[in-house]
Amino acid sequence: MSEKIYAWLLRLYPPHFRENYGDEALQLLRDRARDETGFFRTLRLWLDLLTDLVISIPREYRSVRPSLGAAVQRVGGGPTFFVLEDGSIRLRGFVFGGILSLAVLAMVFGLLLHAGGQRTVRASTHRELTSSSLRSYASASATAQNAEDSIPESVAYGSTPPVVPLPQLDPLPATVPQSEEQSPTVAGVPAASGAAPLDAAERQRVIDGVVTNLKRFYFDREVARKIADSLLAHEKNGDDKAATGGEAFASLVTAQMRDASNDAHLELEYSEDSLPVAPPVETPDSLEGFRQRILQQNCMIRRAEILPHNVGYLKIDFFPDVSVCGASAKAAMAALNNADAIIFDLRDNTGGFENMVALIASYLFDHPEYLYSPRGAPTEESWTRSPVPGSRLANKPVYVLTSSATWSGAEQFSYDLKQLKRATLIGETTRGGAHAGAFHRIDDHFGMGIPEEKAINPFGKADWEGVGVEPDIKVKATDALETARKLAESKLHGN
Amino acid sequence: MPKRKLDPLPSAAFQILLALTGDDLHGYGIMREVAEQTDGRMRLGPGTLYSSIQTLLEAGLIEQLDQRETAKSGQERRRYYRLTAAGRKLARSEADRLADLLRVARAKKILRGEYV
Repeated sequence: MSEKIYAWLLRLYPPHFRENYGDEALQLLRDRARDETGFFRTLRLWLDLLTDLVISIPREYRSVRPSLGAAVQRVGGGPTFFVLEDGSIRLRGFVFGGILSLAVLAMVFGLLLHAGGQRTVRASTHRELTSSSLRSYASASATAQNAEDSIPESVAYGSTPPVVPLPQLDPLPATVPQSEEQSPTVAGVPAASGAAPLDAAERQRVIDGVVTNLKRFYFDREVARKIADSLLAHEKNGDDKAATGGEAFASLVTAQMRDASNDAHLELEYSEDSLPVAPPVETPDSLEGFRQRILQQNCMIRRAEILPHNVGYLKIDFFPDVSVCGASAKAAMAALNNADAIIFDLRDNTGGFENMVALIASYLFDHPEYLYSPRGAPTEESWTRSPVPGSRLANKPVYVLTSSATWSGAEQFSYDLKQLKRATLIGETTRGGAHAGAFHRIDDHFGMGIPEEKAINPFGKADWEGVGVEPDIKVKATDALETARKLAESKLHGN
Repeated sequence: MPKRKLDPLPSAAFQILLALTGDDLHGYGIMREVAEQTDGRMRLGPGTLYSSIQTLLEAGLIEQLDQRETAKSGQERRRYYRLTAAGRKLARSEADRLADLLRVARAKKILRGEYV
């Protein structure tokens, strides 16, 4: 009897232990049970066994754990995993795992459909004009929470950091932390309660708020006036009457603003819940949590490897902040340092931090180059830190793969390398998101995103806002890698 | 599989090394020997015993002998373990370390009476 119980308890140990010593452990129990008879001794035997279980089981499992920690810290290479069990996986395990994955997948889709991306925008676009990069983590942290490895559009918009606070040009007190004071709030507006239809007066108030904010904050006053005129005209013509719900009204006004300006970063938002007056609080914990998550994602560096014919290949889906991911990025670039050509795969890249764009681009030049960003006036970080000591990539052919999903910071990387004639762009025209937006509260339920800054384009053209960056070689995104490889190979062998 | 640390040497491992300084023993034999040499204060349970044995084997401090029949029962086949040269050396250095510790304890006069 007691032997059966103990045999069952033995299952708590890791398989490799059971395999090696399960029989012997049982044998030991048999021996002791035979020698130690009587009530007191049997009791003592079981006390010993239970104490032993409590002490030694965690130790057995702990002894395999360190390999897990190492997996997380590994940088530079591809994703890595370690197998804990020596035995092969049973059929039952596969079936159970399959069902579990399907359930989780269904849950994620359900959440995406019902919760929607809108909330995260608001949480993440509260603007503080401080240039602290910490501020940008939190917006991106909403991202990381939102989806494990894809950064949805709306959040990417929010997470594009206000890189240059432009205190010298901004006529407003740039350090006022409260959005309440930044944005002219419509005074005394009773909260438009959730489902209640909007009346003409309420619409009028919101439009007025939008117009005031636009005129005050939009970087191009001429365009701001144009948008304002258009909005007022629409309202006068009664175009807005159909939109009685807050949600519908917000998207209608958003469409009108974008129509008049061709600026996809302009947005009016509606929230059923009351909008917070102050920006969300960022705690060290939430920042640390974000760091951990982005590091666990290997800083969104999906692949860094050498393809046949010694062509380097870097697939990166986000440009995380250098203070978190600088080491990972440097390791990835170091791994590709001896390549004869390099392909940057930005087809799934949703943007990120300009300091990371500059860091990676630094490897490609032998002298500092100015990287144009439409978000603001040049700062120290607008120049590449070239030459990078030890980099052999400064004179190697560069190919950048783009898709219609390539967005924001990834477009900056593509655009600048193209304008500097440093890279051949292959793929599809990018999505066209150039400007960063800041969030302004209008009343309890409405708020809007407004791009506030714009720098002079040294290439003398319009930036890619709304139109995207055109590739040098247009192919379908799915064919871009193959095309780039062939081009690189023929170039290398032609030389 | 990562090696478990034997530095510092856990007391269970040290007791097992000591138990094996005499005869080669099987698992239960080691357990009884350890209980005997500690006046019954340390009774190694199967989990502790075999995980220690595994660690000591991996570190090359003990070796496993071919299974052989025991005198008691012709049916039972058991694995016997023997101390290696390295194991004997480590046991000695551990004993030295403890002796040093004891000297310090004596110098600090925390031991009393006839034990000093």
